[in-house]
Amino acid sequence: MEFVVEEGKLVNEDCSTLVLPALSIGNVGQLAVDLLVSSTGAERVGYLDDPNLLPCVGNDAYGPLPCGEIALPLEVYESSSIATTLAQQRSPVAKGMMIKFAENIANFAASSGKKHIIVLSSLDFQRLHNLDMSRGPQVYYLSNAESDGRDDHCERLGFGRLHEYDSEGRCWKYLSSVFEKNSVEELALPSEDELEDIDYYPSLPFAALFSAFKARGLKMTCLLCYCSEGDNIPEAFLLAEASSKLMGLTPDKFHGEGGKWQIPYSWKSMYGAPPDMSMF
Amino acid sequence: MEDVLTENPPPSRFFQEDLNNFVQPPESLPSPFIIFSNPKPELPLRPSLLIIAISSPSLYIFHSLPSKTLLGSLIMPEVPFSGNTMEPSLEDKSCNIYSLSSADHKNLTLLVSVQLPVSPERSNLVSRLLIAKDIIPERVIILDSIQSRNFRGRLSPDETLAAKLETSAEKKATTHTGLVNLDYFPSGSVIDGLSASLLSRCQLKNRRGTLVISWPEFGPSVIRFVGALLKKIVPSLDVASVNKDLEKNSSRTGLKKDTWLDSDLYT
Repeated sequence: MEFVVEEGKLVNEDCSTLVLPALSIGNVGQLAVDLLVSSTGAERVGYLDDPNLLPCVGNDAYGPLPCGEIALPLEVYESSSIATTLAQQRSPVAKGMMIKFAENIANFAASSGKKHIIVLSSLDFQRLHNLDMSRGPQVYYLSNAESDGRDDHCERLGFGRLHEYDSEGRCWKYLSSVFEKNSVEELALPSEDELEDIDYYPSLPFAALFSAFKARGLKMTCLLCYCSEGDNIPEAFLLAEASSKLMGLTPDKFHGEGGKWQIPYSWKSMYGAPPDMSMF
Repeated sequence: MEDVLTENPPPSRFFQEDLNNFVQPPESLPSPFIIFSNPKPELPLRPSLLIIAISSPSLYIFHSLPSKTLLGSLIMPEVPFSGNTMEPSLEDKSCNIYSLSSADHKNLTLLVSVQLPVSPERSNLVSRLLIAKDIIPERVIILDSIQSRNFRGRLSPDETLAAKLETSAEKKATTHTGLVNLDYFPSGSVIDGLSASLLSRCQLKNRRGTLVISWPEFGPSVIRFVGALLKKIVPSLDVASVNKDLEKNSSRTGLKKDTWLDSDLYT
């Protein structure tokens, strides 16, 4: 993976926090990063070129008017005011290459001096076993602060620990062994017939990113929420707000207008063109 | 009506295997490469302009152009040659590279006709070959069709239109290729595949690049439209022969009429 600095831009080495999405149901992580980039006024500083990413291009996603600034599959934005780097991923990883991709992006983060990585992802609502709606939509977390995934700061913020994380589970251990270069234990992946429900979580892209960054010794927090396919804008707000809280920020500290969340311009056409009214 | 269970999901939706870390990677394939005709030119080639045809209308135009010289061909090992002919043909699965004769021998213009399927996974390698390895152009123009599955607006089959995306270097350039009047591709819609990979490569290399996407995918009207655009880009281009007999050809001009028979079994 190569980091290409955009012509005329400088990278701020004080941006020690990296926020990035993991591909997941409803594209929630990507929508949340869109919201953060748009609202913080973060400026694009470069691109990440990885052979495992499928290609895509588009017009500028943030606006206020599409000005013809080309958008690439994996872009790096910086907001100096909140000392944060945001990476936005717009296209999928080639099938079977997620582990390689996670390794590459972890190498980039480590070599760029990032100290804290926040990964935003969603989980399939059908996998949620203990539904408790009494507190409203719940944000879950997974951290490498403690071996069981717990983190005091996340607990104080009211996030729920992902209880399904088991560092000794065979798929989680497999991921750790893949990324830790000094691992002496060669582990085999369970065959598809042996996989169980509990193996759903380590199979997801956020788990690969978590394990890759953990292996590089970086402080790592995954923020997660359950959702179904559909209009996932509410979940995007949920994760964007959660990541802001985690970083000790509120929208009034953002660069954007009025200190509030700014809807990206590209969201106007998220669900396609309106129906053809001539049929009525 | 398509089966909602088996039809392809919209591009923003994932299949389970797309989100599975433990899916086996595909078998690795040999890398694509370019072969050149004799005498082999000095590499890398450094054309002032490289025009890459991916859409059916642009392929038809390139095929019909007189005064072009076959320089070489990009080979993808996984694409069989069965059914190809000795002389270049629109039905071939090939990726031929031509040079345009020019009074000014210093300004080399190359044309590439991409008539073979390039998967998204292989696009990165192909775009590196065409833009950053054996060929290093000053300026690139890519001609593709709007992909309706990725377009968030409404597309009428009766309306011919085109839009563009360009690199930062192209936006800053003081001289332009005659495409300034094209609207930008609307925000929220994306282009994927080889044309996206080519334009991305141009942006990463800080090179002048423009992707022109036209609609509809086939038909005489869009062929004339693209031909007129090309004439603005390269005024010396002889597009007169392209417009002959357009109406007599299949409405899917540039493709075989019976594409469902396009199989290795029927060569």
